Amino acid sequence: MTDQNSNTTHFGYKTVAAEQKVSMVANVFHSVAAKYDLMNDLMSLGIHRLWKRFTIDCSGVRAGQQVLDLAGGTGDITALFSKRVGSTGKVVLADINASMLNVGRDKLRDLGLVNNIEYVQANAEALPFADNSFDIVSIGFGLRNVTDKDAALRSIFRVLKPGGRLLVLEFSKPEHDWLSKAYDLYSFKLLPAMGQLVANDKESYQYLAESIRMHPDQETLKGMMQTAGFAEVSYHNLTGGIVALHRGYKF
Amino acid sequence: MLPLLPQLFCAVAEKVLARLIAMDPQAKARLTRLSDKQLSFRLREWPTTLVMTVSGGTILFNQHDNPVDCAIQTDLASLRLLRDPSQLTRLIKADALQIDGDIQVAQQYSHFFQQLSPDWQQALSGYVGDAPAHKIARSLQQAHAYFSNKAEALSQMSTELVQDELKVSPAPAELAQFSDAVSQLSARVDKLQQQLNALQES
Repeated sequence: MTDQNSNTTHFGYKTVAAEQKVSMVANVFHSVAAKYDLMNDLMSLGIHRLWKRFTIDCSGVRAGQQVLDLAGGTGDITALFSKRVGSTGKVVLADINASMLNVGRDKLRDLGLVNNIEYVQANAEALPFADNSFDIVSIGFGLRNVTDKDAALRSIFRVLKPGGRLLVLEFSKPEHDWLSKAYDLYSFKLLPAMGQLVANDKESYQYLAESIRMHPDQETLKGMMQTAGFAEVSYHNLTGGIVALHRGYKF
Repeated sequence: MLPLLPQLFCAVAEKVLARLIAMDPQAKARLTRLSDKQLSFRLREWPTTLVMTVSGGTILFNQHDNPVDCAIQTDLASLRLLRDPSQLTRLIKADALQIDGDIQVAQQYSHFFQQLSPDWQQALSGYVGDAPAHKIARSLQQAHAYFSNKAEALSQMSTELVQDELKVSPAPAELAQFSDAVSQLSARVDKLQQQLNALQES
């Protein structure tokens, strides 16, 4: 969230100038792109696949629909959507980071998914699409890294068709104290060590843990979505609230 | 973690079914007729709706409550009976089976699963070679035949034991005779009842 007065924002626990955050986040993802999938599986014990499947189940996707997978990264959600919209539908995989987009494109092509996927390097705050062009927009583990989240939500609202829905899958606040403590221990002690060991990059995973703590909790994000214009906003806590899926409609 | 169980089930089912379809050379062609058709399935005992969608030559699994082409709802006890088409109307009448939407979709899915015959031998030969794969398949067939033979003999033997040796259960002929006698008796009782009614009225 941007502090309007001094034009600074959070980068993990650090406070940086708003215009700096984009390049700092970009460096993080340039650095982790190659080992991103492996680290996801290790960090979440593979559960991130089920979180993503849950997102698809909540999307109500059907054959022939237009889907935008924002901050799609290495394309896990795009792959699930692509099979479901079929040859008559289309999935646009958008990410602000070229390295992540390249990894995603290679992976999806290796999976044989080529017919209905388009790749766009785009900033979520200013989406390069016409108004009312998508049935579903999903943003999985990406909103956290956006500098101006309110602008991103407004931009998403603009490109959604009336009746379309937005799905935000993002780390959130654990529901129980004991889980919160165990989770803190895990993400500040074990996670950077794992990052060092596997991806040889401790700082990026330190940033990951910190940025999760700075991200708005369930109710705050719900309020932000409502402010951006979304109706019937609801959220599901997954795995004890470590991750939450927010859903909102444009009417 | 438990709330994510349907997603885990869907993921595993999708993977397994994709492998099975890949093992059956004819399966992909048969799936094209079902393209983009959705069938949902719900058990009364497990309140989760599983949705199957055919797309791109494979079957995808999802869990949601959105409208689909055909929705089936049943309970565990009737699940076994679903394989027998002659039972379907009885199940629907007894409210044990609910079908909403295009019943043809359900029939086409059922037809597809019945015809699905993965070529295990071919897949296995990729790992162990042709001759051992053939040998293993032969041994499995023989073992299956042997055990079904034994099971039949055992059931025959226990029938004989119960009917002829221990005499705790009647033979089919005895049973038929007894039911005949019962229906005759019931007919006579009915007749008597009518005569009694006639007498009372006069």
